Amino acid sequence: MSPRETTAMSVFEYHVLLALASGPLYGYAIKDAVESESAGTLMPRAGSMYRVIARLMTSGLVTETEPDDETPPHPGHARKYYALTARGRTALGTEARRLKRTAAVAEKRLGIAQSR
Amino acid sequence: MMRSALTRLVRLFPAAFREQFGDGMIEQIQGDYDRARARGFSSALWFAGATTADLMRSALAEHWNPTWTKLNTTNTEGTGMRARLSEWSSDLRHASRALGRSPGFTIVTAGTLALAIGANASMFSVVNGVLLHPLPYAHLDRLVNITATAPGSDMPEQFGVGDEFYVLYRQQSKLLEDVSTFNSGTSTLRTDDRVERVRMSWPTNSLFSTLGAAPILGRLPVAADESRTAVISYALWSSWFGRDSAVIGKSYYISGQMRTVIGVMGPDFKFPSDETMLWVSGDIKPDSIVPGRFNTELVARMKPGVTTETLARELTALSKRLPERFGGSARYAKVIEQHRAIVQTLRDRMLGSVSRPLWVLLASVGIVLLIACANVANLFLVRAEGRQRDLAVRRAIGAARTRLIQSQMAEAVVVALVAAVVAVALASIGLPVFLRMAPPDIPRLREVHLGVVPVLFTLGAALISALACGLIPAIRASEPDLARLRDGGRGATRQGNWARDGLVIGQTALALVLLIGSGLLVRSFWALRHVNPGYQTKDIFTFQIAPADSQLNDGPSFARFDFAFMDRLRSLPGVETVGLVENIPLNEGTGIARVRTEEMSNEPDAGVRLHVTFTAGDYFKAMGIRMHRGRPFATSDHTMNVRSVIISRSAANALWPGKDPLGRRLQLQELKTWETVVGVVDDVMQNDFRTKPEALVYFPLVGPEPSSWMISSPAYVVKTKRAETIAPEIRAIVRQIAPTAPMYRVYTMAGLARDSMVQLSFTMLTLGIISALALILGAVGLYGVLSYVVAQRTREIGVRMALGAEAGRVRRMVVVQGARVVAAGVAIGIAVALAATRALSSLLFDVEALDAPTFVGMSATMIAIGLVASYMPARRASRVDPIESLRGE
Repeated sequence: MSPRETTAMSVFEYHVLLALASGPLYGYAIKDAVESESAGTLMPRAGSMYRVIARLMTSGLVTETEPDDETPPHPGHARKYYALTARGRTALGTEARRLKRTAAVAEKRLGIAQSR
Repeated sequence: MMRSALTRLVRLFPAAFREQFGDGMIEQIQGDYDRARARGFSSALWFAGATTADLMRSALAEHWNPTWTKLNTTNTEGTGMRARLSEWSSDLRHASRALGRSPGFTIVTAGTLALAIGANASMFSVVNGVLLHPLPYAHLDRLVNITATAPGSDMPEQFGVGDEFYVLYRQQSKLLEDVSTFNSGTSTLRTDDRVERVRMSWPTNSLFSTLGAAPILGRLPVAADESRTAVISYALWSSWFGRDSAVIGKSYYISGQMRTVIGVMGPDFKFPSDETMLWVSGDIKPDSIVPGRFNTELVARMKPGVTTETLARELTALSKRLPERFGGSARYAKVIEQHRAIVQTLRDRMLGSVSRPLWVLLASVGIVLLIACANVANLFLVRAEGRQRDLAVRRAIGAARTRLIQSQMAEAVVVALVAAVVAVALASIGLPVFLRMAPPDIPRLREVHLGVVPVLFTLGAALISALACGLIPAIRASEPDLARLRDGGRGATRQGNWARDGLVIGQTALALVLLIGSGLLVRSFWALRHVNPGYQTKDIFTFQIAPADSQLNDGPSFARFDFAFMDRLRSLPGVETVGLVENIPLNEGTGIARVRTEEMSNEPDAGVRLHVTFTAGDYFKAMGIRMHRGRPFATSDHTMNVRSVIISRSAANALWPGKDPLGRRLQLQELKTWETVVGVVDDVMQNDFRTKPEALVYFPLVGPEPSSWMISSPAYVVKTKRAETIAPEIRAIVRQIAPTAPMYRVYTMAGLARDSMVQLSFTMLTLGIISALALILGAVGLYGVLSYVVAQRTREIGVRMALGAEAGRVRRMVVVQGARVVAAGVAIGIAVALAATRALSSLLFDVEALDAPTFVGMSATMIAIGLVASYMPARRASRVDPIESLRGE
């Protein structure tokens, strides 16, 4: 087991996995999805963006893939598409549950604080 | 350019990383850049800065990431890159240490660059804030200002249009998307605890939609409001109402009646000027239009793709239908026949007059930076010279040339980075001082600050300076002659002086261009200071009040108030004379009316258009306006049955050329009564000291009927030695006799005169400081080069003197060498100045852009300073002791 899976993933990594959970995407589309799904709190620039993709690929959570049939073909440069691996899907699910738990704790504590 | 430069940064990544992700990164950089660019230039710059930092940081990190080197062990580029980075960092460390060992050199070079870069950062902040930062209106590129001209008619060269134009354009133009008209002026604003005259604007309701502006609080006016509402500016909301949202819905006395505040605009909305405090908007009823007023401006938004030229053609053609649609006099029809629409972009109208001087100043500080770079480059050349032997050894044992250039460049980079930091500090201190000095009518000056963009600009300027300063010395140093190793490091360095001489020639030329420019401005300022405006500006205090009282309701009642008020003013200690005038020179323009004489025909359009104003008391005496013939008004002239008038000399020439005007009679177009000329006064410059005086007719306070005219808020003119300090005493009197009357437009004439010249004096002063800086830097550069040459030739000079050369000859030899360089610089400088001074022509007054005395005088100054700078090293050369100089061998 790589050490990566035992440590919590970064918010940025989480959002990249989240973006890919709906199906394969190319780089710029991932970036746009991250931006909108994080409500603008993440504005990834090119360098940081691909470092994260590279990291997720080396840890086996994301892989390069052929685009789905539904994806409209683009003229010009062939774009590289990325997809979640089975491990990536599991990691995302684990992280989502972890987030949910911590969110529940936060809500509970704040609830206590309010009633006091 | 910026876009492709950014994509090139992708090459910094390890090859394997690039292969996998390069295309994606480039797509993202380009896409994001285009989006940022669409938001504006500064947004793109910010994006470029942030992305550069991100790419560099990421690339660096990936070079340390074992994945890529492991994946691609055969590829040497990754490790090559890493090696290069570590080379650079070791070079920079070395350079810092070496510079630390010679603090004198470091302080002089970094200080010179810091001064120049700091000046550039400040000036760029101003240009960025005022000119480059987009105006806060939607579709700015399609917003235009519409005025008119009518060549061949008696209208001024450019004049406003009227409501009828607005109605016609709005209904019939096919190229306009939205249009609105606006008037602006000063009027009374009274709240529960405060009353003042403030700048306000009377636009059509469409103004806000035309400019694409929305309120931050409340709503915008609609037709049903019928001008009973007002929208206030953010500045007024802050200063008068403490940013309390409860202001919405409250009613105040605004411009003659109670109006309800319905909205607050954002801090960016400053139309038509920064000072506009509120907007009372309404709709124009086409039936009530009187054509031919020509007193409003139009602002409009063109449809996409329309150019100002096509729009001007369409509007000119449309306007020919005006007389048929709205009627009007025969004269009106004639003006419309000649009418041509003038369409200029809103940007040009708002920023046009300041953009030229600001660009000139930015170019000038740019020149100073070039001179500073030349100086520093020269110092680096000299420094590299001292290392020839060391470099020759390194080259001999196999160091690559690029490696040597790089290690030499490192010092320049360190110096430039230090300079950049100091420059930002200097600019943050200097910019506020500079802004306080600047003319207040430069739009958006208050928004200027040292933001991210200017700091990035500073860094860029520093890096380019480093390249400029370090490259020539580094290249020259990297080709050391190996002969150095043989002869023990002695020997003259005759060859290669070209680089140093060239730099000094360039410096001299650039400094001369700046000197000539500031010389022209000084001469203009001098000429303007010595213009005789027809009145004095010393010891005169002026102000206006706006009394509001139910008893003050016609001409005679205001006249009685004024005479009583002037009596009170006259009784103040130290007051010599007191008078009043409707429009004080240098602050307000006068009205224009059609005036005819008894000798002219009595058709409705007969007569000449003259400027008119109203005066009473000892106005002419207080202002020092010379009475040419006849007498000033007596108190009895301000009654309804005595009809007297005073005219200026130009008006006399226009009405009765070559005849004595005294006792002759004239008539205002709309009146039936005749006024008799009782006096002729000298012309006065009403608007500024640059424009020719206009023909002016002075009427008394009271017209033929009580309601003919009503001078409700004239400017009072008080002649007193205490002009600078008398205001509080006058305020006390105003509080007694008219407690609700705001006192405003409070000035001394000397202050108004200063303000009227501030744009020129500011540009002159700034350019003067800049060119003095350039001159000093240039002289120091020349001195440095010659000192260095003398030091190098000490041995040769010693030999010459041992062989009997006279001291005078040695001195001459060195001075001639300096003079040759200076002469070449002056020749080039004059040639450049011949082309460059044209940029100043709009600021010049009474002096040609190619003024020969200025060119000659400034060139002579430059040569004289060059000779002084050469003489000092020459004197040192002639004192060389032959024995000492040879003993060194």
